[in-house]
Amino acid sequence: MDLKVIDHATCTFCGCVCDDIQLHADDERIHQAKKACVLGKAWFLNHTAERKYPDALIDGKEATVDEAIAAAAEHLYQADMPLVYGMSNTTCEAQRECVEMADHLGGLLDSHTSL
Amino acid sequence: MGGKVTCTLGEVKNRADFIVYWGGNPAECHPRHFTKYTLMQKSPFLPRGRKDRTMVLVDIRETKSAKASNIFLQVRPGKDFELITLLRAMIKDQPISEAQVAETGLTIEQLQDFVSRMKAAKYGVFFFGMGLSMTRGKHMNSAALLTLAAEMNAFTKFVAMPMRGHGNVTGADVIMRWQTGYPFGISFNRGYPRYNPGEFSTVDVLVRGDTDCAFIIGADPGATMPQPAIDHLAKVPTIVLDPHVTHTSKLARVHITTAPAGISAPGTAYRMDEIPLPLRPALKSPYPSDEEVVRRIKEALLEKPDWMGERPQMLQNQI
Repeated sequence: MDLKVIDHATCTFCGCVCDDIQLHADDERIHQAKKACVLGKAWFLNHTAERKYPDALIDGKEATVDEAIAAAAEHLYQADMPLVYGMSNTTCEAQRECVEMADHLGGLLDSHTSL
Repeated sequence: MGGKVTCTLGEVKNRADFIVYWGGNPAECHPRHFTKYTLMQKSPFLPRGRKDRTMVLVDIRETKSAKASNIFLQVRPGKDFELITLLRAMIKDQPISEAQVAETGLTIEQLQDFVSRMKAAKYGVFFFGMGLSMTRGKHMNSAALLTLAAEMNAFTKFVAMPMRGHGNVTGADVIMRWQTGYPFGISFNRGYPRYNPGEFSTVDVLVRGDTDCAFIIGADPGATMPQPAIDHLAKVPTIVLDPHVTHTSKLARVHITTAPAGISAPGTAYRMDEIPLPLRPALKSPYPSDEEVVRRIKEALLEKPDWMGERPQMLQNQI
């Protein structure tokens, strides 16, 4: 198994978003997160590449991503006042898609900031 | 920048000689803040590093951050707004009463010392945390502190910056501001964005029962929100996108597992001073990214007949 080193990795655990982390990883997991703080180390080392959870769940039953996407779109389409909420632990690219979706739905859009 | 009097952390690192943390505990919540930006770094303007800087902690209890500070001011819980208002009066030499000072739990000597240090500073910064913005007074407290920072500029350079919590919450503000003109609490139900926290903010919407479908991404309201809000999430169809099966996933109708951002999904995240940084994922995930899933849901929605008919404003023109 190859061990790769990633320099200047970015940690998104807290608002500091430190971008000087050195990660040592193989295909399965991250073994070392140099320069990261206690919180950052836990963040990097606790995530693995294994399939820990089912791809998707519909009403508590396992489903494929395609089925779940169709079900999600149907629920959102049927709603009179859908709400899009969260967007903290995700990328700006995904946030942009969320804004466009909320606009198209004519719904509500909100983040953690309002809590 | 949303109207704040603020700066980047690089400026803090190089120039700030007077640092105030208000209602936050960076020693435990932002462990590298001191060493990377605010206290330990040396610069051409602050050649002796820590010795050239003064740190004040304002909080209701003596947290671990108090050990790192030069001065600790223990404010009475819920009296932040009163304290900030007194400081705003004192910098302008306006009269204040002993009773008003006693109410904050501090002495007049402590306040006078704080004011003279603020005025003597070359570059002052307020970092404010959830102890200020999430307690009695809420956004009025933040507004008061931002005003104090602005008013201090009559005497010396002063700025303020919120200590943002998890990950890319700053990015959410920035993206919403870019796309809609507002940072959060937005409704599109008239076909154009409207902003009204209290009416469109999620807790209020859920507690009132004003939504009939919730799409949750990168958040776990099932673990953090008040019970009436969670009860409403369980009642309506809820859709969750998360790398883990969360509390919210358990009460949701649809859960989709996604790749965790920064670990196995690429993209951009904003630092608390609104600097965008690229993510460098180390692992390959068996799951799709948030971006891909949201885009596919959006595309599935676009295939259905448009419920609104003529659209007055289309945001995607800006994208």
